[in-house]
Amino acid sequence: MSAAATTPVPARPKKRRGRRNLTLTIGLVVTIAFIAMAAVSFFYLPHNPNVPRIPDRLLPAGSPRYLLGTDALGRDIFSQLMVGARTSLMVGAGGALIALVIGTIAGLSAAAFGRIADETISRSADIMLSIPGMVTALVLAATIGSGTLTTILALSAFFTPSFTRVIRSAALSVLQEDFITAARLYARPTWFILLRHVLPNVAGVMIVQFTLYFAAGILTEAGLSYLGVGVTRPSISWGMMLNEAQQQVGISSPLAMWPGLSIVIVVLGLNLLGDGLRDVLDPKLARRTS
Amino acid sequence: MPVYIARKLAFFLLAVFAASVLIFLLIRGAGGNVAAVILGKDATAEAINALSRQYGLDRPLPVQYFDWIGNLFRGDLGRSFRTNEPVTDLVVSRLSISIPLCLSGLVLGLLIAIPAGTYSALNSDKPVGALIALLSQVGIAVPVFWAGILLSLLFGVRLGWLPTGGWTNWDSNFWGAVRSLVLPVISLGLILGASLTRYVRSAVLDVMNQDYVRTARATGMTRMQALLRVGLRNAALPIATVVGLQIAELIGGTVIIETVFSLPGLSRMILANVAAREVIVVQSTVMLIIVFVMLVNLIVDLLYGVLDPRVRLTR
Repeated sequence: MSAAATTPVPARPKKRRGRRNLTLTIGLVVTIAFIAMAAVSFFYLPHNPNVPRIPDRLLPAGSPRYLLGTDALGRDIFSQLMVGARTSLMVGAGGALIALVIGTIAGLSAAAFGRIADETISRSADIMLSIPGMVTALVLAATIGSGTLTTILALSAFFTPSFTRVIRSAALSVLQEDFITAARLYARPTWFILLRHVLPNVAGVMIVQFTLYFAAGILTEAGLSYLGVGVTRPSISWGMMLNEAQQQVGISSPLAMWPGLSIVIVVLGLNLLGDGLRDVLDPKLARRTS
Repeated sequence: MPVYIARKLAFFLLAVFAASVLIFLLIRGAGGNVAAVILGKDATAEAINALSRQYGLDRPLPVQYFDWIGNLFRGDLGRSFRTNEPVTDLVVSRLSISIPLCLSGLVLGLLIAIPAGTYSALNSDKPVGALIALLSQVGIAVPVFWAGILLSLLFGVRLGWLPTGGWTNWDSNFWGAVRSLVLPVISLGLILGASLTRYVRSAVLDVMNQDYVRTARATGMTRMQALLRVGLRNAALPIATVVGLQIAELIGGTVIIETVFSLPGLSRMILANVAAREVIVVQSTVMLIIVFVMLVNLIVDLLYGVLDPRVRLTR
């Protein structure tokens, strides 16, 4: 049952740690590159990504002045990818962050404020989990209209119950520690114990989950924008670019490559970063899932 | 066991009720006046009032809610504002595409994930095991619609083997319909399979480290025999849970894949109705999907009780 009993030879953990460090490094490099690309897009873009230049339409990658070529309207692909990175960053991180804040509050409350609070919060989370996120997003798009803000809202509604569950179970195990009993003996109020003792101890779980849902948020945002119920022009999303590319797919398949590759690389990078961080910050969970 | 089933059933009913209230309030609350939403920005106040009266949208919200729920129970999903067609009729014809698509995707996903995950867990220290784990990690990062686009580029545009989209009815051309579903099912199954592989792998790894597997091995069984005789039944529990949770994901994937391959399924219908602001149609079909997902989760929960006697005794 215990990990020590099943670790066969002493040489192995070392090799494993090497692989884990590699995971973390690759994830970190990709994530930093992604954030840098999004940040640079605010100051510098090779071309205006929304202005069509019909004479330059459908140029291949490597053309002079156009690093990755142009789309069917002659808009620069690379500039669009840069602005798309900005959207992915904002929507993915925004959705995950809101869910993190609400989920942490709900999860800590469920863990600390007795059976009724726990049942109410946990069952509500269960119910929300069985509503497909894509469906929530469609309903929101139908009622308040699509756009960046709606997408962030839909993502946070979608991710909050998962955060709640994870934080709750992490907090429950912290609450059983001796130092919590000690704090209770000092008659510390529950909110104080939560803030001072539980929160720092679930911070690792929070960071790991944030990274993983950041990645999931980017995937979902791309899907929604592909469907036309997410981000709309003049904002640009990689999913939207894929939708536009598909209209041209018979003519120019490279158009469908770049945004898709960008999504895969960034999501893979964030997932690797999350897994790597989990090994460092949350060894108990890592042992269960690796 | 009866107590366990009763508890799960009660929770299912509670969940359906809560979700219906949530969807109802979300649509009525967030959208404001439904009649105004349906008629669009340019509608006059009189037109809005007339429409509200005609569909009873001016009544108190609880009355409208129970009216809607009562009709749902009788299988009446309401009528489209624009075409006045009953939503139930629209839905039934769409389901003949969405259900086979969704279920085949799930089956293909499991057919990929169970062998791949098990093999990779049993060979976790060999290159092949690591390669499967890596492939699954990459597959998780691939958006399902990109997989669809690439497959249709390769097999539809480049090789011309399969249609890139469109639909022929089951009755008019059965094999044509099957051909239209091949690429969508492969896209869904591959991506679902990638993420399930990861869970199967960790479930099997976990089981193989348990004392009872060690005991079984001590009696002379090979690792494969131990896994098949005592391990798999235990690994099935976490896998069943994950499959239940993935149903919601799968439906999200189906929504997108129907668009990629222009299949006139249920989700395409919802999308078209979102665009046309057919609020009631969206509300009813969405509710239908939610009930379906909750039903699957109920079945998974009950299955859990069958698979693991401890579950039904302790809860």
